[in-house]
Amino acid sequence: MLIERLSIWQKIGVYAATFVFLLFILMPFIEMFRVSLRPMSHLMTADFTWWSDDFSWQAYRDMWKTVPLLGLYIFNSIFIATAVTVLTMVVVVPAAYAYARLEFPFRALSLGGFLAVNMFTGAVLLIPLYRVLRSLSLLNTYWAIIIPGVAFLIPTGIWLLRSYLEKIPRELEEAAFVDGASRMYTLRRVVIPLAVPGLIVVGTSVFIGAYAQQFLFAITFNNVREIQPLPAGLYEFVGYQDVTWNEMMAAALTGVLPVMLFFLFLQKYLVAGLTAGAVKE
Amino acid sequence: MATLDLRSITKSFGTASVLKGIDLAIRDKEFVVFVGPSGCGKSTLLRIVAGLEEATSGQIVIGGTDVSALAPVDRGISMVFQSYALYPHLSVFENIAFPLRVAKLSEAEVKSKVGKAAEILQLTDKLHLKPGQLSGGQRQRVAIGRSIVRNPKVFLFDEPLSNLDAALRGDMRVELSQLHRDLSATMVYVTHDQVEAMTMAHRIVVLNAGRVEQFGTPMELYHHPATRFVATFIGQPNMNLLPARVVGQDASGLTVDIDGGPRMTLPVEGRAAPGDRVEVGMRPENLHLGQGLTMKVRVLERLGGVSITYGMLASGQRLCAALPGDAPIREGEELSVAINPADAHVFDASGAVMRRTQAPALAA
Ligand SMILES: Nc1ncnc2c1ncn2[C@@H]1O[C@H](COP(=O)(O)OP(=O)(O)O)[C@@H](O)[C@H]1O
Ligand SMILES: [Mg+2]
Repeated sequence: MLIERLSIWQKIGVYAATFVFLLFILMPFIEMFRVSLRPMSHLMTADFTWWSDDFSWQAYRDMWKTVPLLGLYIFNSIFIATAVTVLTMVVVVPAAYAYARLEFPFRALSLGGFLAVNMFTGAVLLIPLYRVLRSLSLLNTYWAIIIPGVAFLIPTGIWLLRSYLEKIPRELEEAAFVDGASRMYTLRRVVIPLAVPGLIVVGTSVFIGAYAQQFLFAITFNNVREIQPLPAGLYEFVGYQDVTWNEMMAAALTGVLPVMLFFLFLQKYLVAGLTAGAVKE
Repeated sequence: MATLDLRSITKSFGTASVLKGIDLAIRDKEFVVFVGPSGCGKSTLLRIVAGLEEATSGQIVIGGTDVSALAPVDRGISMVFQSYALYPHLSVFENIAFPLRVAKLSEAEVKSKVGKAAEILQLTDKLHLKPGQLSGGQRQRVAIGRSIVRNPKVFLFDEPLSNLDAALRGDMRVELSQLHRDLSATMVYVTHDQVEAMTMAHRIVVLNAGRVEQFGTPMELYHHPATRFVATFIGQPNMNLLPARVVGQDASGLTVDIDGGPRMTLPVEGRAAPGDRVEVGMRPENLHLGQGLTMKVRVLERLGGVSITYGMLASGQRLCAALPGDAPIREGEELSVAINPADAHVFDASGAVMRRTQAPALAA
């Protein structure tokens, strides 16, 4: 890192800028956390204070009673995002490899097509998608949330992974080919092991995408409570008369906690993956 | 029997014609080097032999069988790449074992074959390391190890030494020649370095702009270059080419007036008419002190055993001479050098050689 070469004032500048940036990004989370600790009464009446003595973990206990299926919603969220990620990667890896290495008709055109599809947000296509899923009798099943999720994430996945695979030296694959290895064998024993950092980066971004978009598909294509993911399930904290904000925030934070822990664990690979290929080995 | 015949190979990338009809017959167990300037099509030709690239037309015949339509592994070839192309995530053992794993050999067979290759290449104590932990020369040996475990009929090397430093390159040249003797296999070796070609090859193919300029033993190329291109490409320092005009021709040879120099009668035969423009080729090492060409010395490189002298004739023509180490020469002074007429080469206006009648006779 070049940070050692900077003067003290430059360093202070860098850290200050980083702090402001992080504060901006993390502010909503900090506020969520504060809200989740405050009792409802306090929430509606008291003036803004950073800290107060009546802060407690009560909401984290009560939320399981207010919304009895909360545990299931959290599970559904992670399950759906994981299933979408796995299915997307199964499709994206061979497709990205084909785009990175093979010559075939309409290669550039279809790649452009994928990018064009990405321009449509899911929202524009909700009604046609609804009709498709209905005629396939998939409404109100996990598939109704998973399939559109996979479909919308494949294009980005292909674009991201393709550029990563293109950086793997072609001679490695030629050497394997000369030694008699088939395309699939080379993919399995040479390309994929070398692409692990890239696969983690792409897998992560697909997972985040899947987590974020499931809300839209869940509220449109599903009305079975047992299948609902957390973002949709959070609506149950909205009562007839009032909204239990503190419990809702507590539930949201609890829901993303396992995912955050997982990413924390992956972080070292993520950073390596994002900078890999910058330097030729 | 692993002869390798190339029959009228051509190759075009789009509209660019890279190989323009290559015909070669390489013998069993021969070490043949393809040499030529960068971009002349050496790698392309080698990749066509390997089966990594498809020829636009022509046939590859290995051991009498047309393999043009076969996959690399079915051709019985193996290839060592310039970048080594080692798999960074696999150990040295697994790198060498890769072709055997593909062929699904038993664990015991893999162990014994990799062990044997490692022994030949002195890698036995490095088998557990990753390629990134090895030096350049060791990586090169691993790449060679991977190519020998399959017992191919023909080995292909694409500039395998160009990433090594000069001292290591010298050692590896010797090792490769040794390896060729040990394996007694047919080897085709691509390089742009004429020293590698001269030192290792049984026969050299000089390529230029997609054509074979000449195919012969190193000494044939040195003493009987077929063209002006080969003459200047082979030999260090490069051959001098002095423009001259033909005066006459008789049984003793061709009489020419060297521009800005003396009249000489050179023992060569071929068609020439008085007044024709030709070029007289003189290797620096064939020039000696004596009355003939007077040059002004501009740069002098004393290497001990020899003194490489770069100078200029009165006509502005550059001249290089390799003279004895103790020759009494000084930069900036005039110097007179001469050549034995039998040592001179003559090229006609098209660049083709006129046959030397008194040069060392060489068995083909
Ligand atoms: N895949 C390719 N597509 C287009 N042109 C190529 C390709 N491969 C090689 N060439 C061209 O063919 C010529 C010969 O290349 P190459 O065989 O690599 O030369 P060398 O190995 O003798 O330096 C070069 O002009 C190069 O630009
Ligand atoms: Mg080359």
